[in-house]
Amino acid sequence: MSIHDDTSSSAMTGDPITTTKKKRSLPGNPDPDAEVIALSPTTLMATNRFVCEICNKGFQRDQNLQLHRRGHNLPWKLRQRSGKEVRKRVYICPELGCIHHQPNRALGDLTGIKKHFSRKHGEKKWKCEKCGKKYAVQSDWKAHLKTCGTKEYRCDCGTLFARKDSFITHRAFCDALAEESSRVVQMVPSLISAEEQQPKLQIVVAANDSPTPTSPPTPIIISAQIQIQGQELPAKNTGISSCLNGSSSMSSSNGNGTSMFANLFSSSSTMAGELQRQQQQQQQQQHTSFADLINAMARSERSMTNVEPISLCLSSSNGSSLQYAAPFQPALSATALLQKAAEMSAATTNASLLRGLGVSLSSNTSSGQQQHQQENVHWNRLMESEGSGGIGELIMGGGSSSMFGSKPTTLDFLGLGMGVGGGSGAAKGGFSALLNSIGDRLDVAAGTWGDGNYSEQRKS
Amino acid sequence: MDTSSLFSAKQTPFMIYSNQSQTNHISSTIRSSDLSDPFATGGKWASRLLRECAKAISDKEHTKIQHLLWMLNELASPYGDCDQKLASHFLQALFCKANESGNRCYKTLISVAEKNNSFDSARKVILMFQEVSPWTTFGHVASNGLILEALEGQTKLHIIDISNTFCTQWPTLLESLATRNDETPRLKLTVVVSVATEKAVMKEIGQRMEKFARLMGVPFEFHVVNGLSRLWDLTKEELGVTDDEAIAINCVGALRRVIVEERGAVVRMLSGLKPKIVTIVEEEADFTSLREDFVKCFEECLRFYTLFFEMLEESFELTSHEKLMLERESSRSIVRVLGCDGDVGFDECESREKGNQWSEKMKESFTPIAYSDDVLDDVKALLKRYRAGWSMIPAQGDDNGLYLRWKEEPVVWASAWKP
Repeated sequence: MSIHDDTSSSAMTGDPITTTKKKRSLPGNPDPDAEVIALSPTTLMATNRFVCEICNKGFQRDQNLQLHRRGHNLPWKLRQRSGKEVRKRVYICPELGCIHHQPNRALGDLTGIKKHFSRKHGEKKWKCEKCGKKYAVQSDWKAHLKTCGTKEYRCDCGTLFARKDSFITHRAFCDALAEESSRVVQMVPSLISAEEQQPKLQIVVAANDSPTPTSPPTPIIISAQIQIQGQELPAKNTGISSCLNGSSSMSSSNGNGTSMFANLFSSSSTMAGELQRQQQQQQQQQHTSFADLINAMARSERSMTNVEPISLCLSSSNGSSLQYAAPFQPALSATALLQKAAEMSAATTNASLLRGLGVSLSSNTSSGQQQHQQENVHWNRLMESEGSGGIGELIMGGGSSSMFGSKPTTLDFLGLGMGVGGGSGAAKGGFSALLNSIGDRLDVAAGTWGDGNYSEQRKS
Repeated sequence: MDTSSLFSAKQTPFMIYSNQSQTNHISSTIRSSDLSDPFATGGKWASRLLRECAKAISDKEHTKIQHLLWMLNELASPYGDCDQKLASHFLQALFCKANESGNRCYKTLISVAEKNNSFDSARKVILMFQEVSPWTTFGHVASNGLILEALEGQTKLHIIDISNTFCTQWPTLLESLATRNDETPRLKLTVVVSVATEKAVMKEIGQRMEKFARLMGVPFEFHVVNGLSRLWDLTKEELGVTDDEAIAINCVGALRRVIVEERGAVVRMLSGLKPKIVTIVEEEADFTSLREDFVKCFEECLRFYTLFFEMLEESFELTSHEKLMLERESSRSIVRVLGCDGDVGFDECESREKGNQWSEKMKESFTPIAYSDDVLDDVKALLKRYRAGWSMIPAQGDDNGLYLRWKEEPVVWASAWKP
């Protein structure tokens, strides 16, 4: 393959994975056995990954090559792909300072690395005539053309803006923003709901088998990967709720802790039918805030189902979005604005969303320790974006999102209101990651929560 | 128009524009028959009357002055059409000039304005103005574009903002920084303001900037320095300048407030800060070189504010409160320019200069930075969003910078400089 011919390329095979387990949220987490390919910028941009062996025409996608091959009218036998498995290849970014220049952050997809290279280090030669915005990748530009001028930006105060910069300026000066810092908790659901691009949220609620009447209601775990079986978890639960109560500034009025979660997931898209039954159960168990959650979810489901994928949540060009900006989600547009910002430069944003909101979260991602006993550690576990996810997955990014340095990331969830740049220097890009990751994939599963110990059984 | 026709019009001001003004008539009948005439024949009655009045003041023709002031007073209204508004605001200035009461009048106007100056009102006016007209946003986009280019790749940015824009220029810049390809830099924003501004609004603005920067994920520091009235005197220490920062200085509508004699010193002070870039935006008018010649200065002032008022009239809704606020602000400026004795009692002035005049001053310590195609494109895209009538044109020949034009007249000048 031509990619090997480049003199500046150095095919090296390494074991890029040094830690035992990597977060899935890191983009570029190649198979250790993969061959790492380094291409010069010129070669990279000139290279097509899939080359027809008959006419040498290159294609960016395998499917395209297959379609093309049919046109050659080959005998049946030859149409089959050659039996020998080509060794998996991963590609690094030619830009020296770039995070994806490191072999352990190589990307598995040639097209991916090309787009990355163009977007992050390339000239933006595609320009929208309407708004002047420039793109390095033609497909990004085309996607933008379809939506340019159709968006409207709505501020919480009700004002509509057709132009992003007016909206941004207004946003910074509007009282709605000033109020937001005192509404940290509400911001979180807004962020989730702000991500309409891929409304793949799924909420599964599993009832706790034997919740004790005196204990706080069943909190909910969100998991990106697994559905939690309630019965696998210890029956009692105090973890999250006590933790929540402990962090007073986060949720000032919720006595039982779950209302935050109700808020948190009030905008999830789909709901298992089972949910309704769960709702009944929960209500009978005087878990009113849980019921709130479900109601909220039910409400938001309506507004979520037929949302235009491209619109920011403040779009008023479609009816559903308007519902979206409904009063129970007052902070929506601020976050959409942020989302917009995050979409473009997630990797470099230095402050996490939650810190930006005055909340910090703690996530000890590299530690393999499972023996957390203290309440705040539950958050850490919850936040941990390793494997099965939890909120951490949500916040720190789903499978292919970027944003976290290769170093272990530590966010102090309980260190509320921490200033930007202060303290937890390692915390990076949580906000951006959140936004990206939600877009990438977000399955939210709610389950029961164990007492004291966070149970690893959930990973089953 | 000769004086006799003017005086024959004593009973009815409108007559002076009427061809039959020399005929004898009962004023009431003429009124009714000619009422529409001065307005129908192209309007602009205000500028004609005002010019007459300014000339009379210059010539010290007291009777004529009294007469014209009286007429203007009859016709003018700050709530009327464009002519009536011009008449109203310039009448005030001419009255001050004629009675040498300008300084007192100006002080009163300023203190009233300061009393009513709140964050809320300032915000509304500025943001609404930005919505309907590129008058201010033109400078923001032109300057921000070049500032971002000049600071590209730097990790510690310090923007010294000497402006009348109440930081409305910065949210979009913060957003651009947050979405920059490389590492998000630290930004220190030092805003140089007057005492009055500081008291009224800077606390609110600072809080908002900080919140917004946090939201955007830009490490941010905000400082306010009270020193607009002694700009030439500011030191590195006061401005919090440190050696490891990349500095940009942004001057929007601020240099014109520096007393004329100290402008060279201000340029030297700016140069001493060793900035990567200095951006200057000023309104295109010359109230400085002509200030000794009252009539010429008046003509220039009238020219400029006629454009401005017409622009406001076409941009805003008829009954816009924000428009009224902008007109009042203009009114104060007009009194300051025409009614006040230049050097008595004020640290600040309204002595605008044109782009080429500022360029001359800047060139003593700086060289111009050309606008990149990217920034020019951004400005063009910006202007497209507003109603017709706006265009931009790069300075020609020896001139530097970029002009915003309203109906082919240059009205705002933007430029960028490096040491």
